[in-house]
Amino acid sequence: MPSNYVIKFDHVSKYFYLHHQKTLKEFFQAVFTRNKTVENLLALNDVSFDIKSGETVGIIGRNGAGKSTLLKLIAGVSTQNSGKVEVNGRVSPLIELGAGFHPELTGRENIFLNGVIMGLKEEFLKQKFDEIVNFSEINEFIDTPVKYYSSGMYMRLAFSVAVHVEPQILLIDEIFSVGDAGFQQKCMDIMNKFKKKGVTIIFISHSIHLIKNFCDRCIYLRDGQLVYDGETEKAIDIYTSHL
Amino acid sequence: MQYWDLVKHLAMREIKARYKQSFLGLLWVVLNPFFQMVILSFVFSNIVKFPSLGIPYPVFLYAGLLPWVYFSTAIGASMNVLIDNSPLVKKIYFPREILVFSSLIAKTFDFFLSSILFIALLIYFKITFTWYMLIFIPIFLIQFLFTYGLGLLLSALNLFYRDVQFLFNLILTLWFYLTPVIYATEFFPEQYRWIFKINPMSVFINAYRQVLFTGTMPNIGSLGIGIGISIGLFAGSYLLFKRLEGIFADVA
Repeated sequence: MPSNYVIKFDHVSKYFYLHHQKTLKEFFQAVFTRNKTVENLLALNDVSFDIKSGETVGIIGRNGAGKSTLLKLIAGVSTQNSGKVEVNGRVSPLIELGAGFHPELTGRENIFLNGVIMGLKEEFLKQKFDEIVNFSEINEFIDTPVKYYSSGMYMRLAFSVAVHVEPQILLIDEIFSVGDAGFQQKCMDIMNKFKKKGVTIIFISHSIHLIKNFCDRCIYLRDGQLVYDGETEKAIDIYTSHL
Repeated sequence: MQYWDLVKHLAMREIKARYKQSFLGLLWVVLNPFFQMVILSFVFSNIVKFPSLGIPYPVFLYAGLLPWVYFSTAIGASMNVLIDNSPLVKKIYFPREILVFSSLIAKTFDFFLSSILFIALLIYFKITFTWYMLIFIPIFLIQFLFTYGLGLLLSALNLFYRDVQFLFNLILTLWFYLTPVIYATEFFPEQYRWIFKINPMSVFINAYRQVLFTGTMPNIGSLGIGIGISIGLFAGSYLLFKRLEGIFADVA
């Protein structure tokens, strides 16, 4: 019987192998001099939690605390070294500013490219095309190569495709730093709409303000360990006291 | 296939983006091997004289040059495909071999596009068309499998150590001269001809020439070795690629 958990981490640890030697030459030198060739860096240390369907969970912690690694494991692009990660449902990561965009291609071509990268069907994108363009507010430049776009326009287009994916689990990694105030507001409105629809949202931000307003629950990571998991207010209190 | 749309758009991205800012655009795909052929033909029929082959040298050369150019450009592209797409590799899950496969599809498009000029050349030199020529398609599929296997292997290794691409570019140069592209196997000293038997690219090119020019079946024995190596390489590379896939995002 499947539980109502959409994400479950069970004693998950993740190492990074730090290669001290980037080239074969350095590597062979290290082998001969018996230096260490690989060092493990513990990015996540025995982390356990589960997230129910429809929850909005913020993840806070300093740089290098393991926040992005956590998202990578949820997105399935990276695999853990020990423990178990269970994810049920379609994950859609709100990726960095138009990763997968090609600068030489037009906005129109990039909508399709980015859409299929995120797992949408071409047919579906054709139906949603006008909606995506309208949301991005770049109607008249849609047939211009995106290399001529301003970074705000670039961002709006990327975001616009992302929100039309109709995700079940939405991963947001620090993406609201770009775009003008009006667009940021629009993004927040969309996020709230998703929240009401019951989409599970995992939200990483350094903006305490956004986390406080948006998340019902918060996970605080420190040096790869889960320090606190619970009420947002409390998590933020502990986090700020550690700063 | 679930990821067909993705393959299609990734391949289209490569094809469209490459020549977008050039005046001649896609025509370069055809012109590039053509002028290589013209230059090499000039050198080897006027300066260095090869013994007669029974068929005009330009056609003979082109039949070897096109599959070779396909092979070397496809390997070059797939070797870098994981590095070039590192933002995707880090963020979004889809089977990573799709990236390699798509870049191969883009190069395959180039291959067939540049073959148009080859067909024109066949007509110009009044080469007799036979049904055996169609066998070039299954030979191409085997070459595709071989290239795909090697592409998977090198793309994964190159992600960890960039030395792979520099080393392999050297190997490609040597490989070119050990493959009968500009010459025929008969020009090679007899005691060294075993090289052509174990070199899949040589097997493919000889098979192409046989079905195109002699109107006979390719040598099944040596093609069998080519098939064996291709399947073996693909299976091994695929397994390794899938094993490493989980840490691609950490090193990309």
